[in-house]
Amino acid sequence: MPPSRDDAAVFTRIFDRHHHAVYAYLLGRLSDPELSRDLLQETFLRVWRRLSELAPLPDARQRAWIFTVARNLAIDSYRVSAARQAAEAELHHQAATQPTTVPGPHQHAEFAERLAQLDAAIRHLPEEQRVILSMATAGGLTSRQIGEALGEPAGTIRYRLSQARKQLAGALDLEDEP
Amino acid sequence: MTNPARHDLDQLLAAWAQARRLPDADAERIRQAIIPPVPALEASWWSELNSKLSTAITRATAIPGPALAALQ
Repeated sequence: MPPSRDDAAVFTRIFDRHHHAVYAYLLGRLSDPELSRDLLQETFLRVWRRLSELAPLPDARQRAWIFTVARNLAIDSYRVSAARQAAEAELHHQAATQPTTVPGPHQHAEFAERLAQLDAAIRHLPEEQRVILSMATAGGLTSRQIGEALGEPAGTIRYRLSQARKQLAGALDLEDEP
Repeated sequence: MTNPARHDLDQLLAAWAQARRLPDADAERIRQAIIPPVPALEASWWSELNSKLSTAITRATAIPGPALAALQ
């Protein structure tokens, strides 16, 4: 049966609400933007196929469902292509050889350099910390929302975020006292 | 008082996050790739609708035969 305009509108609302966080999660796990985009598309294709079941669920359960799909796809991608090792080796190489140039024309060279240091430090975080940090910063989720998505208590998420920040502060010679 | 080092880390993390976000154009391409095209309305739908409405209005407002006979 062809989709209705209502289906498309419902899907778009779900997509808009969750895609940044799912992408941040995938990027945190895979460290590969292209693969993360592919898996984001696959994740939401499954959302589309199960839209009638998913649409009535409350936001937190939708999020948990979507992240379960994304997590399974990420695990499958490790199994199939051993992409994780290759991507991480490549990223470590990139981090060592070419500093990331991020924002715009007005960025001071010193800030860009600090940003490159931060990027390298984040790549060296343990995966569980990197994923959570990515979801919190690039994905814009709260600790509670990350906990709901990953099936972990919010306190555990806050602790890991704090550990990640301490490691980053140490790597950048900053103090990060609350 | 705000700790300057903490502010520095927050500022760096915000810039890092901004650079890592999926660009809106990429997100829109993905969204459009997932949703199959919704079938378009046929070109004649408006004239058909008008025709049906006109017929319905004519029927509803026509004077019934017996009433017409009584008037004559």
